[in-house]
Amino acid sequence: MPLPEPLAPRRPERLWWPLAAAGGAGLAAVAVLAATGRAELMASLTALAFVALSAGLALFLTGRQGPALTGEPAQDAGPQAPFAEVVDGLPDPLLVVSAMEADDLTGRRYIFANRSARELLRVGPSQGLLISVIRDPQVLEAIDEALFGGIAAESVYEIAGVQARVLRAQARPLGAGPDGSRLALVAFRDETELRRVERTRVDFLANASHELRTPLASLSGFIETLRGHAREDEGARDRFLGIMQAQAERMSRLIDDLMSLSRIELNEHVAPDDDVDLSCAVRDAVDAAAPLARARGVRLDSTLPERGLACIAGDRDQIIQVVQNLVDNALKYSPDGGAVSIALTCGATAAQASAGERSDLTRLSLLSPDHAAEAYAVLRISDQGAGIAREHLPRLTERFYRVEGQKSGERAGTGLGLAIVKHIANRHRGGLLVESGEGRGTTFTVYLPLRARAQAAVAKAS
Amino acid sequence: MNEHIVKSFEDELNNLAAEVARMGGLTESQVADAVTGVVKRNQALAASVVARDDRLDEAERDIERKAIRLIALRQPVANDLRHTLAAMKVANNLERCGDLAKNIAKRTLVIIESDPLTPLTRSIERMGRLVVMRLTAVLDAYTRADVDRALAVWSQDDEVDEHYNSLFRELLTYMMGDPRTITACAHMLFVAKNLERIGDHATNIAEIVHYEATGDEMITGRPKTDGLKP
Repeated sequence: MPLPEPLAPRRPERLWWPLAAAGGAGLAAVAVLAATGRAELMASLTALAFVALSAGLALFLTGRQGPALTGEPAQDAGPQAPFAEVVDGLPDPLLVVSAMEADDLTGRRYIFANRSARELLRVGPSQGLLISVIRDPQVLEAIDEALFGGIAAESVYEIAGVQARVLRAQARPLGAGPDGSRLALVAFRDETELRRVERTRVDFLANASHELRTPLASLSGFIETLRGHAREDEGARDRFLGIMQAQAERMSRLIDDLMSLSRIELNEHVAPDDDVDLSCAVRDAVDAAAPLARARGVRLDSTLPERGLACIAGDRDQIIQVVQNLVDNALKYSPDGGAVSIALTCGATAAQASAGERSDLTRLSLLSPDHAAEAYAVLRISDQGAGIAREHLPRLTERFYRVEGQKSGERAGTGLGLAIVKHIANRHRGGLLVESGEGRGTTFTVYLPLRARAQAAVAKAS
Repeated sequence: MNEHIVKSFEDELNNLAAEVARMGGLTESQVADAVTGVVKRNQALAASVVARDDRLDEAERDIERKAIRLIALRQPVANDLRHTLAAMKVANNLERCGDLAKNIAKRTLVIIESDPLTPLTRSIERMGRLVVMRLTAVLDAYTRADVDRALAVWSQDDEVDEHYNSLFRELLTYMMGDPRTITACAHMLFVAKNLERIGDHATNIAEIVHYEATGDEMITGRPKTDGLKP
């Protein structure tokens, strides 16, 4: 027999959702303002949004009873559902931390983490031990201040990794929880892009001014000569103009490469999401390189799987750039009558992909993904050239690094090709491997994570 | 779940692991700051790394005391014994990393006095970032008991070695080219060596994580490159 419904008490949780929603909307507006660069508006709105969001969350947490926080189904799930989604779906990572006593390290737990916080900290469940997900001493200190000092505090939070991230962590006190614990809200704002823009600008200026100086000096030297004693010498004039044109072309290639490197670096932490069929992309890039290969008397052998198997989440133009750069390099260092082989396979694990396949050569991983995906598409591009000595291998992807004494032929590169390849592979959460031996050729391997449904197709085909 | 009858034993074990994680965080920031200090020639940062090293020593002593106390009073076996020993050994490795970071910072204070070696700094920065990444990855593996991630760190140690060997040659070229740079270059050489050894400690921690989780030692030889030969 059902018990009679008790009278609904006046419960504060009816209030929490408008506040949290207002806070959430405020934060979203701040994100928009950040994009448009309205700094003065942003600051005041951020403060307001935080107050609303904190107040909302505090009411939310005190209103909900204990079991709801520990993952057991809430007794009263009625009107809360949509707003839990709002908070969960906010673009900025949010964490609610609870603690009992200041000297109890294992007492500090996160009891709520929204979706982006779970992605950022790479955790599945939305609660657990705080120290197991955040170790940064300064961030922990800021959280402690909010928990036990009762004041808002903030800190820079840097996450090391191949896709390094920089965030600002802001901790605010949320008062006491239902069980007497202390609560704090930690909100993160991603500043990776801001930092990158700053750094890219500095790098660009430094590189451009340094590397453009040489061709520029030679240009002005020739101009001086042409206006001076070579004025009447027709033969010299033609020759000089030829050199000047080559230098000007080199400068423009350099600027192109620097620009594209800057662009790639800027959104390296944002993985691309378009569907790319690697087979098609690689075929297109190889076809484009065919005339150059013919001119150099080098054969291009490509082995590609059928369409639809090597599907990745990627940026097609960037993938083509990777293949072009690697094939260009291979052609450059190939002897006349040699062959460059381009082989694409699917379904390898990260360990298999980075193991290489030529045991007689020195192998070095130039980039390995932070978190291994299940299956990769593996592209190997090999030449039969002179190979690269071991001591140069770790520095290959450095900007403007040149292997001494290596002749790259008349079509000198910019020294940025492999740096571009590495950054593109990193943006795609992939890896890069080089195998080389003096006199025994070089193989570059790029491996990129396969789409889940492509994995199924590969499994079926094999 | 294998919960202990005595709840406070469980708490003590968890607390020990938490202390190690916190110490790991301190070490990470010491190493990262030491690298930033030498790359950006930041005297204040280097000095603060030197000053903060005491906190790591204290943390190690504390963890060791707690571990010994736990062994003496609770006599842990199997899993629990491995957790306790692992905490002690990881703390020990972290303390060594901290010492090496402090040494880098001390050398930074000397290096700053001579002219900057711009291209070299880039190589040091690359190697430094690589080593910090290793340390972060292996501590993630420890806090999450993730053996696969530990194995990945363990098998990639040769990358750090290759960087070290390449830097070694680069430094020699510099010193031969301009003897005035010898003082700074010699200090840089030790900075590189220290970074390489921090990488080795990360590999050690990876072995400990593997042992803690499985009870097996790693016996297969790591791919070791013989870099001292030209």
